Amino acid sequence: MDNLRRIGKYTLLRGVLIVITVAIGVYLTVIIATMGGYMDKIMASQIREQVGTILQGNEELRKLPPAELKLIIDQMVEQRMREYNLHTPWIVRSFRYLANALTLNLGMAEKVYSDSGSRQVRLILTERLPATLLLMVTANLIVFFSALFTALVLSRHYGSPLDRAVVALSPTSAAPAWFYGIFLILIFASVLRVLPYGGMVSIPPPKEPLAYALSVLKHLVLPVSAWFLAGIFSSVYYWRTFFLIYSSEDYVEMAKAKGLSSRAIERRYILRPTLPPIITSFGLMLITTWMGAIILENVFTWPGLGRLLQMAINLYDAPVIVGEVVIYAYLLGITVFLLDIAYAALDPRVKLGAGGRRPA
Amino acid sequence: MKKLVVAALLVTVAFAGLAQRTGAWVDEVVFFEEPTAAKAVEMVRTGAADVYTFGVSTPAVVKTITETVGYEVSYGSYNEITFNPYGPEFADGRLNPFAVPAVREAMNWLIDRDYIIQQFYAGVAGVARWFPITPSFPDYAKLADVARRLELQYGYNLEKAQSVIAAEMQKLGATLVGGKWHYKGKPVEVICLIRVEDERRQIGDYVADQLEKIGFVTRRDYKTAAEASPIWISGDPKQGLFHVYTGGWVTTVVDRDQADNWDYFYTPRGRTDPLWQAYKPAPEADQLWNALAMGQYSTAEERLAMMAKAMELGLKDSVRVWVANRVSYFARNKNLAVASDLAGGVYGAWLWSRTLKWKDKVGGTVLAAQASMLTEPWNAIAGTNWIFDQMIIRGVSDYATLPDPFTGLYWPQNVEKVELTIVEGQPSFLTLELGKDFGGGLKGWVTQTFAKEIVVPGDAWADWDAKTQTFITAEKRFGGKVTAKSKAVVTYPASVFDRLWHDGSKMSLGDMILSFILNFDRAKPDSKIYDAAAEPAFKTFMGHFKGLKILSTSPKVVFEVYSDLVYLDAELTAASRAGYLWPAYGFGVSPWHGLTLGLQADGDGKLAFGSAKAKARGIEWMSYIAGPSLAVLKGYLDENAKTGYIPYAPTLGKYITEAEAKARYANLQKFYATYGHFWVANGPLYVDKVDTVTKTIITRRFAGFTDLATKWEVFAQPKVAAVKVTAPATVTRGSPATFTVDITFQDKPYELAQLDFVKYMLFDGAGNFVGSGNAVPVKDGQYKIELSGDVTRGLAGACKIEVVVVSKVVGMPSFASVSFVVR
Repeated sequence: MDNLRRIGKYTLLRGVLIVITVAIGVYLTVIIATMGGYMDKIMASQIREQVGTILQGNEELRKLPPAELKLIIDQMVEQRMREYNLHTPWIVRSFRYLANALTLNLGMAEKVYSDSGSRQVRLILTERLPATLLLMVTANLIVFFSALFTALVLSRHYGSPLDRAVVALSPTSAAPAWFYGIFLILIFASVLRVLPYGGMVSIPPPKEPLAYALSVLKHLVLPVSAWFLAGIFSSVYYWRTFFLIYSSEDYVEMAKAKGLSSRAIERRYILRPTLPPIITSFGLMLITTWMGAIILENVFTWPGLGRLLQMAINLYDAPVIVGEVVIYAYLLGITVFLLDIAYAALDPRVKLGAGGRRPA
Repeated sequence: MKKLVVAALLVTVAFAGLAQRTGAWVDEVVFFEEPTAAKAVEMVRTGAADVYTFGVSTPAVVKTITETVGYEVSYGSYNEITFNPYGPEFADGRLNPFAVPAVREAMNWLIDRDYIIQQFYAGVAGVARWFPITPSFPDYAKLADVARRLELQYGYNLEKAQSVIAAEMQKLGATLVGGKWHYKGKPVEVICLIRVEDERRQIGDYVADQLEKIGFVTRRDYKTAAEASPIWISGDPKQGLFHVYTGGWVTTVVDRDQADNWDYFYTPRGRTDPLWQAYKPAPEADQLWNALAMGQYSTAEERLAMMAKAMELGLKDSVRVWVANRVSYFARNKNLAVASDLAGGVYGAWLWSRTLKWKDKVGGTVLAAQASMLTEPWNAIAGTNWIFDQMIIRGVSDYATLPDPFTGLYWPQNVEKVELTIVEGQPSFLTLELGKDFGGGLKGWVTQTFAKEIVVPGDAWADWDAKTQTFITAEKRFGGKVTAKSKAVVTYPASVFDRLWHDGSKMSLGDMILSFILNFDRAKPDSKIYDAAAEPAFKTFMGHFKGLKILSTSPKVVFEVYSDLVYLDAELTAASRAGYLWPAYGFGVSPWHGLTLGLQADGDGKLAFGSAKAKARGIEWMSYIAGPSLAVLKGYLDENAKTGYIPYAPTLGKYITEAEAKARYANLQKFYATYGHFWVANGPLYVDKVDTVTKTIITRRFAGFTDLATKWEVFAQPKVAAVKVTAPATVTRGSPATFTVDITFQDKPYELAQLDFVKYMLFDGAGNFVGSGNAVPVKDGQYKIELSGDVTRGLAGACKIEVVVVSKVVGMPSFASVSFVVR
C-alpha cells in the first residue's frame, strides 16, 4: 500500500513537473518563433509590401483615381491584417498559442499548407511524419545497433588495429550527415549514376506497390548512408569507451577469475548493468527522430518534418513551429517519465519515489 | 531500291504524323520538386531531369548551365539602390546627404555597373541598367538610342561623382576632416541596408566601399527580406533607419507599357508606404511622370518623346539608382524545345505546354523539376497564386487569347476577331490589325475605330442582383444614358462549342455565363458565397465596367463589352474584353458543373474559395486536387448527379437544361473515379495524377484537344536578331559614307516585314555622342546607314557607330557597333 501511494505520489509529481517543463519550453518556443512580437511588425510590413507589389503589376488598379486607389489599398491591407490576426495584441496571441499547444489543439497554420492543401496543423504534421519516421528511424536504428555491437566487439579487442582505426576515424563525425550527403550524391548520382539524387520515390512513381516499395528503398540508401557515415564512428567510440569502463569493474574481474565465458560475462556483467543508459540513449534517439533532420532532408529533397520545420521558420508560422515543438516536448517528457519506470524495472538499486535514497 | 522505298515511306509517315499531331507535342510531363538549383541543374546535365522551370542567376550555377546543358533566358527581375530622401537632417539631427537630388544623381557616376556585372553576375547573369524601363521590353527598344546616349552620359566616373558630392556636402555644411566628411563635429555615417539572399549582398558592399572612398563612414546592416521590410517599407524615413537599401523587383510578364514606372518608383503617388511619401520630385518631373501615368498623350510619337524626357529627369532625381537587370537561366535538355517568356521565363510562359517538344521525336515524357510545388490549395476562383503551381495550371488550360512571350502582345486562341471602338482622344495603338499577316501563320485579329461618343445600351448587363440571382441592366444601374470610353465587339468562332473539358463535357453557354456571374457574386453581401476579400477587385472592376450585351449565341457567340478601361495597346484591350465570357477565372479555368461543387461548399460554410474567408471561419481553403476538400466536393457531386442541380437557376436555368446538368455530373463522377481529383480543365494537357506524398504531378496529353500541335510552334524560340555592321574601308572627312547592317536569325536573313526599325548612333573620336538617325531598309536581312559629307566633316580619328535593331516579333532589341577611322 505504501509502495503504491509512493509510486502514485511520484507519478503525479513527475507528471506536474513534466507539464510545467513542457509549458516553459513551449512558451520559450513561442517567444522565439514570434521574435517576441517583432514578427507582427515584419508581417505587417510584408503585407504592405505585397499589396504595393500587386499595385505595380495591375494596370487596372493603377488607372484608378488616387483617392479611390488609396481606399482599395487600405481595404486590402486591412483584410490581410485581419487574416493573420495582427490586430490582436501579441501577448494575448502568445498565450493562446501556449494554451492550444498544451491541450494539443494544434489548430490552423498561418501560412504553411499541407501538400494536400490543408491548413490543419495536425494534418500538416501527420502528412510529413511517415517520411521522417521512415528515414530517421531506419538510419538511427542502423547506427544505434551497429555501433552497439561493434563497440562490444571492440571492447573485447581493445588496442586491436580495428579498434585503433575506429578511434582514429571517430573525429569524422564532426562533419554533419548532409555534408556526407552531398559527396554521396556527387559520387553515386552524378558520376556513377546508380542511385537517385533525392526524393522519396522515382519520378514518375511506380504504379505497382512492390515496385513502389523498392523504389523507396533505393531512395533511402543515400540519406541513410550519409546519416550512418556521420554517426557511426563517434557512436562506436562512445559505446566502446563505455563498455571498457564497465569491463574493468571489480565484479567483471571477479567473473573472469571464476572462469566464466566471455559471452556470459558480456551478457550478465557488462550488458545487464549498462542497460539503463543504453535504453535511455535508445529512447532519446527515437524521439529525436520526430524533429527530422532539416538540412539532410533538404539535401535529399526528402519530404519530412525537418523540411517542414524549416519552411515554417522561414514563413514565421508560429502554430506549425509550436505544434512540432510541443509534440516533441511531450514525447520527451513522456520518454523521460517512462525511462524512470524502466530504470526501476531494470536496476534493482533504483526505486521510484525513494527520494534518492539508496540501499546500503 | 527496296530499302529506299521503305525509308521514303517511313519519312512520309513520320511527317504525316507531325502534321496531324494535335494538342501537346509530348505525351507526358511529370513535375516534381527540387528546391536546390545547383542539384537540379546537375540532374538536367545527367538526364535525371529534362528541364528546371526555375530561373537561376547564381553565377557559378549559370556557368554550369551555359557550358553543359541547353537553356532559355529571361530578364524579369532587376536590382537597384533605393535612397532614403528625407532631410537633409533626420529627426535626430544626423545629416542625410541623399536628401539632395544632385548627390543621388552623382551616385550614378560613383558605381561602375560594368564592374558589377563582371564581378557579381559573372558577366552573363546580368546586364547593366540605368532606367525604370526594362532593357528587354518594347518601350526600351523604341527608346534605345536615347537610352544609349544617357547610359554613356551616366557611366562610371569616380572623379565626377566625388567632385559633385563634395560640392553638395559643403553646401550642406559638412566639412572634410582627415579624408572623412563631418557634420556638426561628427563623422557622416551612411547606413547601408544590405539584402543577403543574392548578389545584392556584394552590390551593397561595393556601394558602401565606394562611399567610403569618397569620405563617408558606412554602417552595413545585413538583412533578409523579412527583416529589412519593417525598416525600408514601413519605417519612418524621418528616423533615418537607413540611407541606402539594395532593392530588387520582379516582373513576370512582358510589360508593354512602362510609361507609368516613373510615377510608381519616383513619386508619392506610386505607393502609400512611408518611404514613398518622402519623395519630392521636381515639379517638371512630377507633372511629366503623372501625365505619362494618366496617358495624357495622343500619339505614339508624343508618348515616346515624353518618355525620353522622363528618362533624363529620372536620372536627375535618382531616388533610385538602377544597377542591373538580372538574367535568369532556365536549364533544359539540349534536345528539348520550349517557349520561354522574356520576363517570366519558362515558368511564366503561358505557351509552354503548347511548345514543349523533343527536337528529335513526337511524344515522349518530360521530367520537369520545379523549385516548389503544391504550395497552396488549387481552386480556380481564389486558389494558389504560386508561379510553380500556376505554370501547371496554365499548361492544362485553354484561354480566349494567349500572350506573346516575346512582345507581350496577345494572340487569339479561341477568338475570331474583336472590333474595338475607342472614344476620341483616348490613346490606343493597334499593331495586330485584322487581316494582316505577321508570318509564322500569325494573323492580325483586331480592328479599331474612334468615335466621339460611345453609348451603353440600356439592356446591357451591368451588375448583378445576388438576391434574385439575375443581372441588373445598365439602365437600372445608371438610371439613364451612360457612356463608355470603349466598346468591343467580340466574336468567338463556332468551334468553341466543340471544345472539350477534360471529363469529356462539351463547352457550353452555361460555362460562359457562370464565369460572367462570378465577376459579381462573391463581392455581393447578399450572396451565399460573399467574401470580403473579393471586394477590392470588384470595386476596381466596377470602376470601369459599364455593360455587356450578348448579340448572338449561335452559330457563333458574339457579344459587346462597354468599359472605361483602355490599355495603350489595342490588343490588350481586346484580349481583356475577349475574356469576359471565357470560363477562365483568376486562378484557373473550370466548367460550370465543376465549379458548382465549390460554390455549394463555400455557400454552406464547409469550405472556402479564399484563404482569408477560410481562416476567418476556421475551415479549409478549398482544394480541387487533394486533401480534405475532396470528400466534401464528392458529397455534393453525388447529390447533384441525382438532382441535376443548376446553380443560379433564375439566370443559368435559361442556358442549362436538367439533362445537360445530369450528363455533366455523370462525366465528372467518372473523371473523379479515374483520376482522384476534380481539376477539370480544357487545355492540351490534363492532370492525370497528384501525389502529395512525393510532391509529384503527372500531366498527360489530352487527346480531345484538337488544335494542331504546330499552331504555336513559332514561339518555341525568340527571334532575336543577330546584327553585324560593316564600315567602309576608309571614311574621308567631308565625303559621304555608307555602312551596311546585316540582320539575321539562325544565319538566315531577317524578314523586313518583321523588323520595326533600325537606328544608329554616331560617336566621334573622343567618344562624344554626335547624333542619331534611322537606317534605310535595303532587302530582307539588310539595312544601310548613309552619313552625309556634312556629318563626316565633323568627325576625326577613331569614331564609332552603334546600331540598335528592333523587331516586331521580339521585344528585346539587338545591338552592334563598328569602329572606323576618319581621315
